[in-house]
Amino acid sequence: MNLDTHTPIGAALALLPELVLTAWSLVVLLVVAWRHTTERDSQLAGWLSFVGVALSGVALWWLWSHDARSDGVPHMIALDEFRYASAALILGITGATTLLSIRYLTRQRLLAPEYHCLVLFAAVGMLLMAAASDLIMVFLGLEVMSVSVYVLAGFDRFRRSSAEAALKYFLIGAFASGFLLYGIALIWGATGQTNLTLIAAQLTGAPTTLLLRLGLGMLLIGFAFKVSAVPFHMWAPDVYDGSPTPITGFMATGVKAAAFVALVRVLNEGFPSAKELWQPIIGALAVATILFGNIVALAQDSLKRMLAYSSVAHAGYILVAVWAGTPFGSGAVLFYLASYCMATIGSFGMVAAVEHVGSRTVLIDDLEGLFEKRPWGSLSLAICLLSLLGFPATFGFVGKWYLIASALREGHWILPVATVIGSAISAGYYLPVVTAMTFKPERSVDAHRQVAFSRASKAIVAAVVGATILFGIWPTPVLDGALASARSLTNLVSGMAER
Amino acid sequence: MLLGPSLALSAILFSLGVAGVLLRRNAIVLFMCIELMLNAVNLTFVALSRLYGAGGYVMVFFVMTVAAAEAAVGLAIILAIFRHEQSVDLENINLLRG
Repeated sequence: MNLDTHTPIGAALALLPELVLTAWSLVVLLVVAWRHTTERDSQLAGWLSFVGVALSGVALWWLWSHDARSDGVPHMIALDEFRYASAALILGITGATTLLSIRYLTRQRLLAPEYHCLVLFAAVGMLLMAAASDLIMVFLGLEVMSVSVYVLAGFDRFRRSSAEAALKYFLIGAFASGFLLYGIALIWGATGQTNLTLIAAQLTGAPTTLLLRLGLGMLLIGFAFKVSAVPFHMWAPDVYDGSPTPITGFMATGVKAAAFVALVRVLNEGFPSAKELWQPIIGALAVATILFGNIVALAQDSLKRMLAYSSVAHAGYILVAVWAGTPFGSGAVLFYLASYCMATIGSFGMVAAVEHVGSRTVLIDDLEGLFEKRPWGSLSLAICLLSLLGFPATFGFVGKWYLIASALREGHWILPVATVIGSAISAGYYLPVVTAMTFKPERSVDAHRQVAFSRASKAIVAAVVGATILFGIWPTPVLDGALASARSLTNLVSGMAER
Repeated sequence: MLLGPSLALSAILFSLGVAGVLLRRNAIVLFMCIELMLNAVNLTFVALSRLYGAGGYVMVFFVMTVAAAEAAVGLAIILAIFRHEQSVDLENINLLRG
């Protein structure tokens, strides 16, 4: 099915998942305008927004199954498998976050159902980022996402750490958007285009100008802040530590996935001919991020802070595949994002369940002896952490394998070696959590009495753990899907180049 | 055509904004510096519109809208911090420490 995005109907159909989600989030906002006082209202808003995510998923499935393609050069919105696959991942993350939040919000007495609307608004921004085939759209999607997440980070506003997290995230995030925007302006100045495909066509065979170099550099700084690559990561630990736990999970997965998908599309679709300009920068960022993130994570005693540094380190791993700049590399990014997001959602779901009401954070010591009281829960957390570590027979192992392979295929060895060293170091902070849960005794008799799982969060954690093991043993379907969707990304560019 | 001087001016304004964010300690002043950065970019867009047509003007409107939304959320967050600390000084919140 070909859609002409220059006509109103075509554009509306191309944007169907985003439009459905936006309209539904406005409906939820209207509902909570009248029902926002009791626990039941908060739960109602949560389940309503889950329905919205499901409806948007149906719209996405409709586009995907009809194999919607853009007529000619895509205008603002890309219609290809890379968008559909990443949108499916983002919707999955949003749905999981919503379900994990319902019980957490009532436990922590955060009875403001606008929370769920803000999660939906952020998801719309992420979907737009994943779909953007124009730099203007990248910026607008990024802002729609970021402004909602600033509020969510400070949602527990009576707790000082949450307000501080929001302020820090807001100031650094707006600072980073400034860089991204200046980069877009300079690239527009250098090429006269903001559409990625047209930029690529303009740059083929043209000499690189100072304006282009500056613009690309600014753009990369903006993205590096968003994906928390060293040395632009300094906001991540405090923000992840202070935000409400389900939102920390949302930031570590959804925000990061959307930023990486947009980065891959911008670099591969817009700047394939400027590869020698961006490859050294991405490579240097990757090595610094992997080594720094892993080494500093060793020194943390707060579980949320440790996971924050681990997510910084994982950004470094993913940058290795971004560096490759090949269809295989883009597929590896998508594949690894899926494995990373599953394991991270599962971990933060567990952290949210064991978190004490009103406590500042969750320490690794707080988990001591959890296995005796909650064997299945601790087992799930252990499997998620092992997948993040890259233990064989988990999804994370296969994901990391393809990240390394994507760089090796380009005949490069420093980045794969850094990845392996980083993973070896990361055993030093993932395994102590597992041993604390299993081998150490409980510190007091009722240390784990507050642990509370709702049925919904049990289902989410069980689903991601099941998928982590299943795809660790049998990764072929996901891998084929990821590689096929990444090919759709580059067909377009080579098609343009031939023309 | 004042293209060169306009681009230079916007580069200087942008650098001033960046320097302000990195050096100042007051949340409101930091926020003003970020707005300065965004408006420097707006100047770039307007200046380049002489070359590439009206696309830049449209972009300026987008940026203004986004900046307004950011201001609404940002000032609310600064207010929330003020309720905790009775000040908006960032001495206690180190932005550049991980």
